[in-house]
Formats: sequence, structure tokens, C-alpha cells
Amino acid sequence: MTAPTLPLAREGFHAPGIEEFEWPNLVDIELFGIDLGINRVVLQMFLVAFVIWLLFFLAFRSPKLVPAGLQNVMESLVDFIRNQIVLEVIGRDGLRFVPYLTTLFTFILLGNLCGIIPPILFPLTGRMALPAILAICSLLLFISIGISQQGFIHYFRNTLFPPGMPPLIYILLTPIELISTFIVRPVTLAIRLLANMIAGHLILSVFFVASGYMLTSTNISTLFGVGALIFSVALVAFELFVAGLQAYVFTILSAVYIAGAMEPEH
Amino acid sequence: MSEPGGPKEPPGRGADVVWSVIGTLIAGVLAWGGIGWLLDRWLGTRFLVAIGVLVGAAGAFYLIIRRHGSG
Repeated sequence: MTAPTLPLAREGFHAPGIEEFEWPNLVDIELFGIDLGINRVVLQMFLVAFVIWLLFFLAFRSPKLVPAGLQNVMESLVDFIRNQIVLEVIGRDGLRFVPYLTTLFTFILLGNLCGIIPPILFPLTGRMALPAILAICSLLLFISIGISQQGFIHYFRNTLFPPGMPPLIYILLTPIELISTFIVRPVTLAIRLLANMIAGHLILSVFFVASGYMLTSTNISTLFGVGALIFSVALVAFELFVAGLQAYVFTILSAVYIAGAMEPEH
Repeated sequence: MSEPGGPKEPPGRGADVVWSVIGTLIAGVLAWGGIGWLLDRWLGTRFLVAIGVLVGAAGAFYLIIRRHGSG
């Protein structure tokens, strides 16, 4: 950004931009020319993974028949994934995917929530690496389920040549099915999550930085600063909603893709 | 996000259909637009990518109607 071209920049206001998402390496590691350096985002990922392990460990270390406290919370979480996602979308055959989907949901949810939990204030899922890897996991999972449930040839025939269509129309439909199932599905899974978290983080950063700037200025804009601050707090609540919603959407669509791979045509 | 379904409609079904429709539309335009673009490069023409996009969108609509149309 060239500072003098912006009117606000001349007065010392610096609007947060996409550079908010770039963190320098804290530890430089390079393996075969690939940068495996550890930066803040990687540390955050370790932290989230550890917190999830800790939550489940503490909750189910000595489970009680009548759950209380943390066990109650974590049981409702597992119940939610089991009843609202797996049983509704896949059915009883899908119960073996409850662990995967619960882990997926919890990890994305906590990764998203990092964006509004002080002092972290950076959404883990705002970097492409994470949504991309999670989407690839779901892609590989539903392909392997399709192959193991229907057989290699059956699965790809049912996917690329949806049954019950006039034969000639396959020339038109097969390229669409190929792109839609194996490329658009994982790409949209990843981009939907990433774009929501980037947008949310940028909006929050701009609002809080601008509120601070206006509140500390000595002219009339101090008044607007109060309004902006109130609105910023409302935006945090909205981000809380988005964090839950995006984790839910990612999980339920993974479940839908798994269900689609288990039975030929729904 | 998800459509307000009827009493028997399981939650999330709306979202499932919405994303499937959007995904199919994107895939249709990408697949046939891509084929048109490749043909354009190969044949040195410029109009096939536009035709490809239209064909892809039409194919996607057909697929969506067959799959999700009330019937």
C-alpha cells in the first residue's frame, strides 16, 4: 500500500489488509527445499489439537453414567454430530464415521473461534493450508468409501454416468459429473471456509483498528468511534455465529458426500 | 442457510440441495467452458469458449432438474 495516496493514511491511519494473514517463521526448518518452518499459525494449530485432546481426555477420563460438567458438554457435542448429522444424512450405516466427523467439526470450530478468542485473535482456518488439507481428507475418504462399498468400476460408473438418463446425454453430462464430484466439491469446501474466515477477520480488524483510531483522535470523530466500537462488539457476536455455522456446513457436506458414495443414487 | 423444511424435513437437507445445485452449475460451466477454451486454442478460433459455457450451463440445468426436480 502506498501511504500518501490514501487520505486517511496521511493522518496516520493504517487500515489492516491481507498482510494480517502473513506471519514470519519463528523457527526455520527446510526439508528437501520445502519450507517447513514453524510460524504462529503452526503453533496455534498445535495448541488447538492439544486443547481438543485435553477436552476429550478430561471429559471421558472417568465417565459417569449420569454425565455432569465437561463430560456433559462433550457428550452433547458427540450426540449432536451423531443425531443431527450422521443419523439424519447417512443413517445407521454411517455411525462408524461419527469419530471422523466429530474431530472435523471440533477442529474447525476451535480453529475458527481462535479468531475471536483473546489473546490469539487469528482464525486458524484463515490460511488456505488448513481448509485445503481438511477438504482433501474428506475427498479421499468419500472416494475410498465409494470404492470399498460399490467396487472400483461400479463406483466410477455410477458417479460419472448417473443412471436413468438417455445414453446420448452422457456425452454432455460425464465431463460435468467428473469436474463436479472430484474438483468442485473439495475446492468449494475449502474456499467456503477460507473466504468466510478471511472476510470475518478483516472486518473485525478494520472495525477495531478504526474504532481505536477514532476514539483517540481529538476531533468530532471520537463520537463516531463510540458507535464503531459498539458495532465492533456486535460483529464479534456475528463472528461467533459464523464460526459455528461454517464448521457445521463443512461437516454436514462431508457427511452428504460420504452418504452419496455409500449408495449409488440417492 | 438451510431452507425452512417441513416437519418431516431433516435439518441440513436444504443446505445439501443448495450446495449441490451451485456445485453442479459451477462444474458445468467449468467443464464445458474448459473444453471450449481448449478447442479454441487448438483450432485458433475465439467463439467456442462461449458456446462451451452455454452448453455446460444447459447440461448442468438438465442434471439439476433430473436430480432435484419434483417428480
